[in-house]
Amino acid sequence: MEKNLAEHSGSFARKADDDAGNVTYSPVPESDNKVDAKMDTDDTEETTNSDNVVGENEPKKNEEKEEGEEEKKENEEEAVEAQPESPPPNLEKVSEEIDQFLVTLENSNNSKGKTTLEIPKFLVAFLDLLEQKITKYDSGEAKWADSLEEDSLFLEAVNRVSNLMKHFTEYYNSHREEEQEDQENVKGKTEFMLNGLCAIQQRAMSFLEEDFRSIIEESRNPNKSDPKGKQPVAEGSESETPTETAMDFPGFGEETVTNLRKIAREMIAGGYDSECYQVYAVSRRHAFEDGLYRVLGYEKLSIDEVQRMPWETLEREIPTWINTWKECLAVWFPGERRLAEEVFTTEADAAAASLYGNLLGNVSIQLVNFAESVALTKRAGEKLFKLLDMFETLRDAVPSMENLFPEDVAWEVKTETTSAKCRLGEAAVLIFCDLENSIKSETGKTPVAGGAVHPLTRYIMNYLRLACEYKDTLEEVFKEHSKMERADSTSRPRYEGEENKNKIEAQKDNVSPFAAQLMRVMELLDSNLEGKAKLYKEVALSCIFMMNNGRYIVQKIKGSAEIYEVMGETWCRKRSTELRTYHKNYQVEAWSKILSFLSPKGLTENGKVQKPVLKERFKSFNAAFEEIHKTQSAWVVSDEQLQSELRVSISALVIPAYRSFLGRFSQYLDPGRQTEKYIKYQAEDVETYIDELFDGNPHGRR
Amino acid sequence: MPATTESNQGSFLGRISIRRNQVMSMDGSHDQELEDLELFQKHVGDRFSELPADDLLSIAWLRRLLDEFLCCEAEFKAVVLMGRDPSHLAKPPLDRLLPDLLDRVVKSLDVCNAVTLGLDALKNLQRLAEIAVVALHHSPLGDGQVRRAKKALAALLAAMLHEDATAKATERSRSFGRRQGTATAKASPRSFSCTMARNWSASKQIHAMLSNLAAPRGNESSGLAQPVYVMGSVLVFVMWALVAAVPCQERNGLGTHFPLPRQVGWAQPMVSLQEKIAEEWKKKEKKGTVGLLDEIQRMEKLGHSLVEFADSFQFPAEADRLEEVKKQVQELSDICTRMQDGLEPLQLQIREVFHRIVRSRNEFLVVLDQAGKLSTPPL
Repeated sequence: MEKNLAEHSGSFARKADDDAGNVTYSPVPESDNKVDAKMDTDDTEETTNSDNVVGENEPKKNEEKEEGEEEKKENEEEAVEAQPESPPPNLEKVSEEIDQFLVTLENSNNSKGKTTLEIPKFLVAFLDLLEQKITKYDSGEAKWADSLEEDSLFLEAVNRVSNLMKHFTEYYNSHREEEQEDQENVKGKTEFMLNGLCAIQQRAMSFLEEDFRSIIEESRNPNKSDPKGKQPVAEGSESETPTETAMDFPGFGEETVTNLRKIAREMIAGGYDSECYQVYAVSRRHAFEDGLYRVLGYEKLSIDEVQRMPWETLEREIPTWINTWKECLAVWFPGERRLAEEVFTTEADAAAASLYGNLLGNVSIQLVNFAESVALTKRAGEKLFKLLDMFETLRDAVPSMENLFPEDVAWEVKTETTSAKCRLGEAAVLIFCDLENSIKSETGKTPVAGGAVHPLTRYIMNYLRLACEYKDTLEEVFKEHSKMERADSTSRPRYEGEENKNKIEAQKDNVSPFAAQLMRVMELLDSNLEGKAKLYKEVALSCIFMMNNGRYIVQKIKGSAEIYEVMGETWCRKRSTELRTYHKNYQVEAWSKILSFLSPKGLTENGKVQKPVLKERFKSFNAAFEEIHKTQSAWVVSDEQLQSELRVSISALVIPAYRSFLGRFSQYLDPGRQTEKYIKYQAEDVETYIDELFDGNPHGRR
Repeated sequence: MPATTESNQGSFLGRISIRRNQVMSMDGSHDQELEDLELFQKHVGDRFSELPADDLLSIAWLRRLLDEFLCCEAEFKAVVLMGRDPSHLAKPPLDRLLPDLLDRVVKSLDVCNAVTLGLDALKNLQRLAEIAVVALHHSPLGDGQVRRAKKALAALLAAMLHEDATAKATERSRSFGRRQGTATAKASPRSFSCTMARNWSASKQIHAMLSNLAAPRGNESSGLAQPVYVMGSVLVFVMWALVAAVPCQERNGLGTHFPLPRQVGWAQPMVSLQEKIAEEWKKKEKKGTVGLLDEIQRMEKLGHSLVEFADSFQFPAEADRLEEVKKQVQELSDICTRMQDGLEPLQLQIREVFHRIVRSRNEFLVVLDQAGKLSTPPL
């Protein structure tokens, strides 16, 4: 833009007659004069020295062609001419001159044409002063952040260098093609000047880069992170030791951020943006990874390691992972984003976005990988709940991602998260479906003593009750999964056999895939139990077994609102009906024979009671009752309600019959010994004995 | 995972599976099966022999390699898995070979992740090279820009040298001193990107993938054991090539090639590629290198040359020398462009491989599961 930036100096020196410049440079000579005047007072040998210093620092300069040397001589001459005596040069003052110089360069912006460039002497002084400053910083004589004033003075100086660079480069480029003889010299001068500027800029930038790096890295030490931002990077702030909690992540004080921002701005303005971004990206990546491990306790595990880990160990890693993931989404990611936006605020949004976007994207995918690797582990029933925890964590994370990442990264992370979520969901579905296998493979042939609740029933029902605490998630997982199955049934083998699928499809529309699977598990459990019931020799006992297990199942289902909701009222009612049927069957099987002894039928012949038959009846009853008491008191009904229901119903069945039998026929026995022999039990005794049934411990005879 | 590839692949598999189903329903399906197996092997051979020889281990070549791998994988699944009675896969020796293969698959996932991280590190090298390019493009080329370029290139070369140094060592050395000497030595590829889990080693991983990988003998060699072996070899070869090309955590002793049957048609192209790569590796191994990736190798050479130029630079530069350097800078810039255009897609592709083999593994597991269920005696 500032094509003519240098014309004033040109006019002053050699091209005063150049008409093109004339219009614009009315202010220029003034400023030059001023500068000269100042030079006269401020700069003495220093200027010369400075020139020499520059020369020394860039030894190659000495090999310069004539123009360079000429220029130098000229400068020296001028400087010497202008030197009476000298207070030491001052960066601030020279800076003012530079600023004016820059302003005039800007002003001459719009005038076009041939112009020439004169390099003012104070420029050399300025560079020299700046160089001294860098040397001070570099040697440690001056420390960054010791004096804000000094720092900003330095940054401003760097900014001036960048501006000068820009103008000179433009001038150089626009005049490169010009072949005018009298400009040769100027061109050489410009090149020479540019080289000096560029060298000092590089030194300054190199220093700033290091400075930027150390500021940003020192915050990695938690002892030095200062949430209040009072002493951003000062050493020796160990006195206060704020523990780096997640809440103040990334833990930079306000002043540190300001500091970083200022440095970043100058680096970017000077065209050293890549260096700045690079340092930032690498440092932050390390800080972030360190933090995950140090603060959140999250340690990276390879997929292979996860596969080989015992579940008890892996299980403990999962809550840490969940916590890390949640912390990242809630605090760390937004914090990291904020930091990038604050440090690179004025510059390019795109740059900040790509910086934090890359970092956060990488960290997210690394975290997602853990979920993938857990989903890959061998399936086992006990893993279901942790897998569902992870599934929920990922699921809940997806909606917030839009706001955390730049668009492209958000898309990638979302896709990866969704994919890992799917894998976890698949694994969960498979594990849940494995319940079928664990039921089917339970083929033990030993009946449970006393017809008690089978361990399989307990296991399955308790598992289901736990699973149903995740009911909504399971519903979701199953729904997604059945969708997937339908979507690509050609390439994806089914998780259930054909018959099962038909069954599911046959279900009414309002039955969710999860409910269908749950039903299926219940059905399988039922038919398994029915098979096991057949292992008992006594039908009555198998009825007790079915009642016990059925009762257990119904109680568990009623005890959990979630399963109850899935299985539905109808199902429960049906189960209760079935239980009543078993109850009836039991009564018939266990008691019909004994009741037949109490029947008046066949006792009388032609209206006369047959005494021997009556005696036989009493004997049979006694024997049968004793037998029943003996066996059935060893049977087990642990559910109190069921136990009392059974006893009550037995009593209701037996006692009235017995009582009336006694009432009607006891008179036919001779009182005394005969009565004692045949009537062993009073009705009350029978009741007592009935109350001893199903206790699970054989009483024997009293 | 990416929707497009997914659907492409679906339709491709769909087609194959339709063909299979038709075949299965016809008579003489056994002969057809033998033919299928032979075709599969032939295709594998063809795919690897069609890989361009001239830009071995370039980004473009790796992308091609992964494409071929994905095709092999899809075809393998079509031949072995689809439309097949699950019980076929549960019979010996497949009941042993398939789980072995699935194990290898899981192990290769870590390699995928490590390579992705390695590519991240390369992106950082690319950025350093870009700094040098920008600096050296300046005109007039001055001391400052040359120094700037040199600093970036020195960091680049140092990073390349640090390749297999442990992450820990560089970690420690970074935390000291703000302005101790030059900043350049502090950077290494390890410090550029996330690392894998502690103690993870690409070399160990590849060796673990190789265990139990043996050609089927006798009767087995005519059955499904053969494609399972072929696929295992392809998987290991591809992962090995990736590790060779891209910086990966700990990969000592991988330069030697692993056994592949030399006489067999399908393996020959792989064997010859393997030999070429191993040879390259041997050459570079002593020097320590950041990976055999063609672009990086070139970058390294140019880096050295440009650093040399920077060391002897005097302002103003001689026109001849400048011309020469300009060419090199242009070349470096071209490499950067290629990396800029290629690394990201390569990473995505590796991720695709990751997801694909995870899915396939699941499919195999489900089928094996079904076979297991079927073999469970009914109550």
